[in-house]
This record gives sequence, C-alpha cells and structure tokens, in this order.
Amino acid sequence: MSLRYMIPASKFKRYLPKDYVELVDYGPFGKKYSEVGVKNMGAYKELVEEHPMCSGCWMAYYIKIIFASLPNPENTVTIGTAGCGRLAISQAAVPFVYGNYGDQNAMASGMTRAFRLRFPDIQKDVITIAGDGGMMDIGFSMTMHAWFRREKFTTIMLDNETYGNTGGQESGMSMEGAVLKMSPKGKNFGKLPAMQLAITAGCVYVVKMSPTNINKASKAIRRAIFAARNLGPTFIHAYTSCNIEYSIPTPDVFADAKEKEKGRFAFEEYMTPEAKELFAQIESKTKREVS
Amino acid sequence: MSLNKTLVDMDYLLNEAPREKHFITGAQAMAEAVKRASVDMAIAYPITPQSEVMHLVGDIYAQGHIKEYYRAEEELGTMSAIAGAARAGVRLFTATSGPGLLRGLEAIVSWPGHRVPCVLGILTRVVNAPLSIQPDNIEMAYMLHCGAVMLHAENQQDTFDYTLAAFAITEKVDVYIPVAVATEGFFVTHAKGYVNMMDEKYAYKEVDPYEAPVPAMDNEVPPARIQRDAPVQKSNFMSYLIHSVWQQEIWDSNRRAMKYIYQYLGGPIEVINPDADVFILASGCAAAQAREANRYAEEEGLSVGLIKVKAIRPFPKQEIRDALKNAKSVIIPEHNIIGWLASEVKSSIDNSGIVVDGPRVYGGMTLPVELIMTEIYTALGMETETLQA
Amino acid sequence: MSKIIEVGPVGYMPQSAPSMGVELSPEGQALLYGNIVSEEEAMRDAAKALLTMDNPTIFPGPQVLWDWKDDVAEKSAAILEMASEIPNCKIIPMPDYRPKYPKIDVKAEINPNHPNLTILDNRIKACVFIGVHCHYANLTLRMIRAGTDCYTVAMCAMMGHEEAMASIRDVHASDVLKFRDIIIEVRNELGIEHTPTMPPENPSLPEEDWGSLTPADYGEYRSLIMSRKGEHVADVE
Repeated sequence: MSLRYMIPASKFKRYLPKDYVELVDYGPFGKKYSEVGVKNMGAYKELVEEHPMCSGCWMAYYIKIIFASLPNPENTVTIGTAGCGRLAISQAAVPFVYGNYGDQNAMASGMTRAFRLRFPDIQKDVITIAGDGGMMDIGFSMTMHAWFRREKFTTIMLDNETYGNTGGQESGMSMEGAVLKMSPKGKNFGKLPAMQLAITAGCVYVVKMSPTNINKASKAIRRAIFAARNLGPTFIHAYTSCNIEYSIPTPDVFADAKEKEKGRFAFEEYMTPEAKELFAQIESKTKREVS
Repeated sequence: MSLNKTLVDMDYLLNEAPREKHFITGAQAMAEAVKRASVDMAIAYPITPQSEVMHLVGDIYAQGHIKEYYRAEEELGTMSAIAGAARAGVRLFTATSGPGLLRGLEAIVSWPGHRVPCVLGILTRVVNAPLSIQPDNIEMAYMLHCGAVMLHAENQQDTFDYTLAAFAITEKVDVYIPVAVATEGFFVTHAKGYVNMMDEKYAYKEVDPYEAPVPAMDNEVPPARIQRDAPVQKSNFMSYLIHSVWQQEIWDSNRRAMKYIYQYLGGPIEVINPDADVFILASGCAAAQAREANRYAEEEGLSVGLIKVKAIRPFPKQEIRDALKNAKSVIIPEHNIIGWLASEVKSSIDNSGIVVDGPRVYGGMTLPVELIMTEIYTALGMETETLQA
Repeated sequence: MSKIIEVGPVGYMPQSAPSMGVELSPEGQALLYGNIVSEEEAMRDAAKALLTMDNPTIFPGPQVLWDWKDDVAEKSAAILEMASEIPNCKIIPMPDYRPKYPKIDVKAEINPNHPNLTILDNRIKACVFIGVHCHYANLTLRMIRAGTDCYTVAMCAMMGHEEAMASIRDVHASDVLKFRDIIIEVRNELGIEHTPTMPPENPSLPEEDWGSLTPADYGEYRSLIMSRKGEHVADVE
C-alpha cells in the first residue's frame, strides 16, 4: 500500500510540522474525488497552498485546479521545465521533477516506461506541465515524438503566449503582430497550431480551453489522465494569461480569460472513439468520479 | 524472465565466474557486458560508429535479457529519457558517439547533479565539421568537467570488463553518478579481439532503487513532496552556498569512485617497467599502440616504461605522480588534436617539464607505432630518421 | 588525535571533507573528526557533545519520519528513547528536501537547502542527523560546518558521512539504543542528573490569519506594498 510513504511514523507524529500532518489527516490522499476535488477546494488541505507566483496570476490558479483534479495524487509524479509554472508546481505535495530545458516529455517517456516495468500492478500517473515555450519551442521535438511514440502520459501546456519567466519574449504561441521582447516590430507569424499538432501526432484526447469554469477544467484534466492510463498520449492546451507581460490589471484577469474563451481559446475537445467509450464507461459507473 | 539467470555480485562476476575465450568486436563486447548486467531499460539512437552497440543491445532486448528498449527521437531526447527513467529507479544503459554526445550533452552534464546512475557508452568519433565518421576522441574533452566517472577502454576485453564494472560503480550509494565507458570507434568497436567472458547465465544482481543517496521518485519513498533537484530560485548567499556544496558533492562522489576502480579493475593505471627513465603514458586505443611501442623497445633492448590510464575521471593524479616521480621523459600519444590527456598529466605532476606533447593523430588516422618510437629515440638521445606524420 | 574535520564555522567557502582526504569508514568502524575510529569512541565523543553543549537537537529525516518500511516503527521508538536521555533535547524534523518558498518555519523544521537558518535561530551547538538521504545529509552537514559552530553527529543507515564530526554507519534501531546507553554512561560519568523526559512537541507556528494582516506585518517591506499618501494607482504600465 503506497500510502504508507506519507503516513507519519506514529512516534514522530507530534514532532512533525502541522503542515505535514494535516496533509495526511485532511489532504486528498487516498480519498474519493467526491470528498475532495475542485468542488471542495477550501474545505480540505490542498496540495498547493503557498507559492511565490505574481498577484493575480491565472497560471497559479490553473495549477491549483490541476492538483485538485488529480484522480490519484498519492501515485502521481509531475514533470516540468524552466518557466513560471514550476515555481508553484514545485510547492505541491506531489513529487516534481525539474529537468533541463524543454525535456519534460522525453523524461516522462523514460519515467512512464520505467514505472510500468517496476509496478505492473500499480497505476502511476505521470503528468508533464510546462509552458508554451517549453512545450512548443525548445521542447517541440521531444513533445511531438513522445506523442508519436504513443507514450501513455498526460501533457498539459500552460499557454501564456509569452516567455513570462525570462521577461516577456516572443514565443511560438504568441499572437501574430504581438510586440514583445525579441519581436520589437511585432511577431510575424501566428500561433503554432498546438491542438492540431497533437491530434495529428496521435493524442487520444485533446482539449483547448480557457479555464474559467473549474468543473469543466477539472473534468478535462481527469479525462486526460484516465485516457493516458490506458489508451495513449493526451494533451491539454490551457490559456493561463501572464498579467504582468500583457499588462492585464489584476481585477481584470478573469474577464480577460472569459474574453479569450470567446475567441481563440474557445473550448474544443477531441477524443478518439476509444476514449469516448472509456469516458462513457467511467462516467456512467461512478458519475461523481469524473465530473 | 525465463532465461534462468544466476544473479551474483560484481566481485564474483568479474573475478570468480569461470570465463571462456571469444573472438568478438568491441561493439559485441559492450553488448555482451550489458547482457550480463541485468539492465532494465536501454534507450537507443543511431550514430556511426555507436549504432552497432545499440543494435546488439536491441537484439538482447528481443531475446529477453533487457526489459525495455526503444529508439528515441535524437540524443537530447535519449539522454533526457534516461534521466526520467533513472528517477523511477531502474538500471539504464545507452551509448553514443561524437556529435551525438555533444547533442545530448546538456542532459548528460546534468546527470551527475541530478544523481542519475546509469552507464553511458562513448564510442568515439570526430566532432563535425567537416563531417566525418572516423575515430578521434576529442569528444571526451567535453565530458571531463561534468562530474561523471569516465573509464577509457584499450581494447575489446577492457570494453567488456569496464562496462560491467561500470554498472556496479554507478549504483554505489557513495558514488551514484553516471559512469561513461569510452573506447575508440571502429578501431575497437568494429575490430575483433579476444575477450574472456563468463557464461551468459551469470548476471549482476538486480538494482535496488532504495539503496541510494536520494529518494527514488516513485511514490513509494518519503518525503511525499519530493523535489530532488532543488532549483535554486533566489539570489542570496544561501542559494549560492547550496549550489556550491552540491557541486562539491558531485566531485566528492567522483572521488569516492576510485576505491571501486581499485576493487573491480585493479586500479586506475597499469604500469609496466616502473623503473624506466622514459615512459609512454596513454589511454584507450592509444594505449594499445603504446603497448606495441613498449614491446618494440624491449626487442631493441631499450628500457621504456608504460603507463596505461584506465580511469580518466576520477583522474589518478597521485598514482601518476608516484609512477613518474623519477622519470626523465613521458611520451603521451593521443587520438585528438588538443591533447587533453597530456594537459591532465601536466597539471597532476610536479615535474611537468618531462611531458612530451604527443605524438597526436586525429581525424580518423591510425597511430603508427613508429611515431611513438621516434619520440622514444629522441627521449633517449638516439639518432633517428623522422617519420613525417 | 589530529582533527581533520572540526567544529565550524570554517568560513565563506567550505572545503569538502573528501577533498581534504577524509574517507568513509569501513564497516564496523566510525569517523570522528575525519579519522577512522571504533564506533564506541565516536559515540562517546558525540554523547559528550550532546550532553555538554547548548540546545542539543535531533534532526530526524524522511526515512524515519514516515512509516514507509517495516523497521521504521522500531527505529523511531529508539530515537525517541535516545532523545529522552539527553537533557533539554529538542526534535526538529527535516521532512522535506525542497527549497521552501516563501519561507521556512525555523522553529518547526530544518531544510537541507538552508539548514543554517534553523541551527542559528535556535542556537543549536550539537545535533544528530538520522534518516536523511545521504546526498542531502552531506550538503547539510557541510553547510553547517561552514557557517555555524554546531557539533554534528551523523547516524547513517548506509555508509556514513565524512562531513560530520562523528559519523556512525549502518545504523539500525539497535545501534540507536547502543548510543542511548553510551549517552547514559557518559552522563553518569559527567555527573549530570537527569530523568528521562520526552522532547517538546513540534512548535509549528499557528496558521497565519491573512484576514487580520496589517501593513505592519510586512516590517521593512511595508513600503513596497503600500501606496503613498494620496497616491491612487489606477493604471498599470
């Protein structure tokens, strides 16, 4: 029973910082999704609490949703790369691998296969969470090839349409015409078609969204993880604005996300017939399990 | 696995298990070592002259000696996947050559700091450009400063023994950094030599991912919130200090590997004729030519010593210093233009004036024994006809 | 005995113990100030340090804090027995290896990325590390030797630590109990009277109440979060 690794030795429980004890007593480990999950955020000990992200950061909010949506947090490993996201991801109570630049999907390939060797009877979920630069620019080849190879893990791209962590440079996912650092005269080509690339490369479940509705966002994340376990690679392309580099006043961050939802981040969901069948099974069996 | 292996420790495997003589290539020797190492996973990507090694490892996988194997997208993807799999606690092998090594270098040089135990075969080849596939070990110079343990095999037999020993060294709790086993492309990989090997029913005992200085990231080990690779995110003294002591720890781990090099390989250097005034010091394939020169010299009645350097990292400074303390001259033949081995030796000994920089060949050239002989005659003050290199 | 590894602070840029020629002790032996000695000799010196120096503290690491293996229960019980025999002993865990942001509670935990914050804040002059993975233990021990005057004891389940003043290797519950016995023995020799007392429980800070936070809580940084008098920030550049 792998929960053992997070249960304090009884003798030491009173010597641990409360933070860690509460994580076991009131955290989501080993609990049903209906008891925890995004619907109950604020009512249980969440996996990400304090983090050093900017005030009003939409990415930090979405990262909290990711961790609140994990179907099996006690058997999950996240992998990320350089970028703002890792500042919050690394504070979560889930093992996090921070590798080199853009290598997250190659690392996840090795790790997923190794887990399947070592634990043929235990499902270990591997999730890569990286930005638009890490996924679609510097890590492009490793992202794509992991999908072509049908590696069974989930890829989540936090798209803020810029290199936020290095000071706001143009990325492959920036809009055409955007004036950013390293595109002083405006970007002269459009966003990379990440969703189409994922579908072409063989992802079995792909979602593009602006996560304004936490239940909808959570459902997509959980579907992506369930499908990755059995069927193949899955991909979520989420809008997570950079309110600093795009000068979005903190009170307007949500409105901006809403606006993008009406435009280029309109909700799109792709699934293979097998994935559709899988979701139907899971969602009818335990209706509360996924939604 | 239905192959019914007898799992043994490395001392038994290397030193006690009965061996039989085979006539095989260096690539085969490396693959045969992998076959006996209970490797869980190997990741391949083609590049000449390495490809042969990973083809053979693929065959071994198909026969069931290895549990998982795949061809990755390119070397950075390969080396990154090794890093991911290592954190999940499996035993790993990969190999590359020249430009492939450099392409994977960003990931490779992060392995030691990330405490990734694995064995990396380096089958040397020129670094482009101009494009060439020929042997030249300049790529090893790029590996010297990353903290990995580096062994340099002279021939097919060394390739077999060093590769096998590497699997034990890399997983020692007080080492736990990658071990690179280098040998020359083509000269060793594609040429046959005699190799004494134990029966393939013997295999090294399986990896224990919890016998480690860092937690495996497999959700079975505390702490629950593991982040092994602390990104030092703050600009303050404590952040600089953690990074500096972390780097020290990698080089300390490298240093600790030395006792295992003694245990498994009989030490980092081999010395022949220790009382000579003139020495030839070499590693890898150049050591084979140096050995030949040593034999020529003996036939001619000349007293010439030979120092073969097996371990490039940790570099056997003390051993070399001791071996050369009374020497008048040390000739260092190499298969590269910059002479990284000569630089290493010069910075290790007090009497660095005795170092003869060369002879060196590169770009794929073989190293004629005559080139070494010329230096020997010069060192001994004898008249020679010079051979133009 | 000449001491190769001494109580710090050794200064700005520490030299690592292995680079000063210290090697791990062979099985059955221990390290004391970088020298290979018998386990008992190392334990006696360590016991004396824990009994005579200020604020002795035991730093248990993840491998003994969590119930992940069958031997943890026995070992953790032994560690507490040992702690109870040291007067005024505290237990501050190292539960985690991540650098913690935005801050660490130095009364409640120690972190391998900045261990000196906990050592200095609590004025700890002698400590024991047990159950910390070797890589992080080495980093921690070296930083403590660099920046503090704390005597360090490493009780390692594996091969020990060159950086500690006293390093015991292959430690099982029985070795912890042996150390406890030596502590009692040395304590009696020193004439220190003590009845076994359990260390106080973890003094985690109460959770911060963000609702009642005032600018004064930001101390010297308050000017960064407060607008100037009469200033109204309406636009973001």
